[in-house]
Amino acid sequence: MTGMFFTLLKKDFRLMLSARFFLLAAGSLVLYSCYIHFVYVSLDDKMYPVYCYDPAGIGTQAINSITAQDSGRTLPPVINVNTKEELADACSDGYSIGIDLSEKAPRIRMVSCGIDTIDHLRAAYAASRISTIGAGGPAPLRKALLDSEDSPAEADQAAPSNTGAALIGKDSKEMKNRREITAEFLFFELAAVGFLGLAAMLFKEKDMGVIRIHAVIPVQRNAFILSKLGLILLSDLVFSAMLTLINLGAAEGLAVLPAVLMQAGILSLLMALAGFFCAIALPDFKQFSLLYLVLAVFITTPVFLAGQTGLEIGWIKYHPMYHLFLAMKNAYFRNPNTSPVYYAACACAVALLYLLAGWGLRCEMKREG
Amino acid sequence: MIEVKNLTFSYGKDKQALHGLNFKVGKGEIFGFLGPNGSGKSTTQKILTGILKGYGGQVSVLGMDIAAVQSQEFFRQIGVLFEFPYLYTNLSALDNLNYFSSFYPSENVRDPEELLDMLEFKRGFLKKPVASYSKGMRQRVSMARALISNPKLLFLDEPTSGLDPSGAVLFRKIIEEERQKGTTVFLTTHNMVDADLLCDRVAFLSNGQIAALDTPRNLKEENRSIHSQESTLEDVFIRYTGRGLD
Repeated sequence: MTGMFFTLLKKDFRLMLSARFFLLAAGSLVLYSCYIHFVYVSLDDKMYPVYCYDPAGIGTQAINSITAQDSGRTLPPVINVNTKEELADACSDGYSIGIDLSEKAPRIRMVSCGIDTIDHLRAAYAASRISTIGAGGPAPLRKALLDSEDSPAEADQAAPSNTGAALIGKDSKEMKNRREITAEFLFFELAAVGFLGLAAMLFKEKDMGVIRIHAVIPVQRNAFILSKLGLILLSDLVFSAMLTLINLGAAEGLAVLPAVLMQAGILSLLMALAGFFCAIALPDFKQFSLLYLVLAVFITTPVFLAGQTGLEIGWIKYHPMYHLFLAMKNAYFRNPNTSPVYYAACACAVALLYLLAGWGLRCEMKREG
Repeated sequence: MIEVKNLTFSYGKDKQALHGLNFKVGKGEIFGFLGPNGSGKSTTQKILTGILKGYGGQVSVLGMDIAAVQSQEFFRQIGVLFEFPYLYTNLSALDNLNYFSSFYPSENVRDPEELLDMLEFKRGFLKKPVASYSKGMRQRVSMARALISNPKLLFLDEPTSGLDPSGAVLFRKIIEEERQKGTTVFLTTHNMVDADLLCDRVAFLSNGQIAALDTPRNLKEENRSIHSQESTLEDVFIRYTGRGLD
């Protein structure tokens, strides 16, 4: 039995090699890690550049003396421009903000970014750059600036004296970002790519007709399924461990690894079995691709929307993938799911999908050539 | 070796494929199972090889009731050649044979290279992937796969399909040699030449029923008309099945 299993494992390994499965997984690992390291963790919008046209020099000196205490960061200085045209040009990108102090009533000049809330924030930020000067300084300017906005009171409240946000928990902002995005990438990789990987391998065997040979040789059908599952599971667990250690670091990565591997194992088994069944049940890869599209768009999208945005979807708690997604995220945030109901439901789902896969395999073996 | 009594099978409510087949195949016999497409040949072979369950009647193969066969012992004693040369196209001929042979006890397994030599497989392709083989070469590897475990019972479905005439002659010679070793052969084919030259007995299947069962010689003799010369097996086929060869 053991020898038979390893023979099947070796054959499946070669099939995966020939399908460039490992190359794809390695490519995904590099791509995700590079994105996390070089893009995502430093993904923080730069502060709005503030330009000032102040021909009389009323407020510029005061403005430039301000060093805001935004979590210890120094804000970029206000940039002086020499003409109104230059000011208009500098503020034409929908991001930068201009302060025009050339007229009796100071004005903010900016091109709307398209979202009212953000426009108010931009205006409030520009005003805040002159907010800490005493009463004799640019305070009247600030008031005048905000008065020129539609809702000065709102803008006034929105301008905090200190822009630093409180951090919850022990993690730095960067570590939180790392945990979050690593959980998302791993979920996506296991849910989508793992599902496709096994299905692609099985479609290859279906096309070659070799599944039918396994019906008339002394090999157990369970071993045929288990070898594929074992290989995909092993490959997914290695991928999960590497992605976690590379992107969270050794200490943090090892701390969450057991919980992450548990969730990765569950998700990997479920998706691999679902992929197995779909590949066996559907006649060709085109239909499978269509199903995959439906799965991606209508099944995983609400999960991401509910889990990652403020969008409230009332029925999402009935969506099984949502619970798997949350369990994965919680595992990364050192809060592993301990609910027996969750694990019982996962075990039942694995058992059900395994039975379906076995049934599908028997049907495929009986099929005409 | 094979004993079939009142075998029936249905794919659904109104899709009765087999209507009470009765036949026996003795040890060392080459038994031809002939019939047009859709007559029930494949269904019968699937039942005999243990793939299809849920049939009616009694089927005994290698002394085992096929309905009760659970162990791998049954599959160790049979070899099956499918109509199409199913192989792992990413693997070479040798890798395919080594893979499939690894499921059998080593004492039963024949040397893959010797087998391929016997089947006149081009040595230069031994380690090249099957994807680069012609149909005839694939058929040779498939035949080697069916023979690799020294089976006591060989199921051959269109064995000479895709082979050139010399290849077909070689395959017939190999099948004959297998019989001389005591192997029983259950041959399913549309090729009346193969059936005529190889089979000790043939059964003509039509609409899920056996229309005739005898030696090719007797069947031809019985169907000879007064005015004509001895009929061919093809004539017999047309007479019993009511259809020409597809």
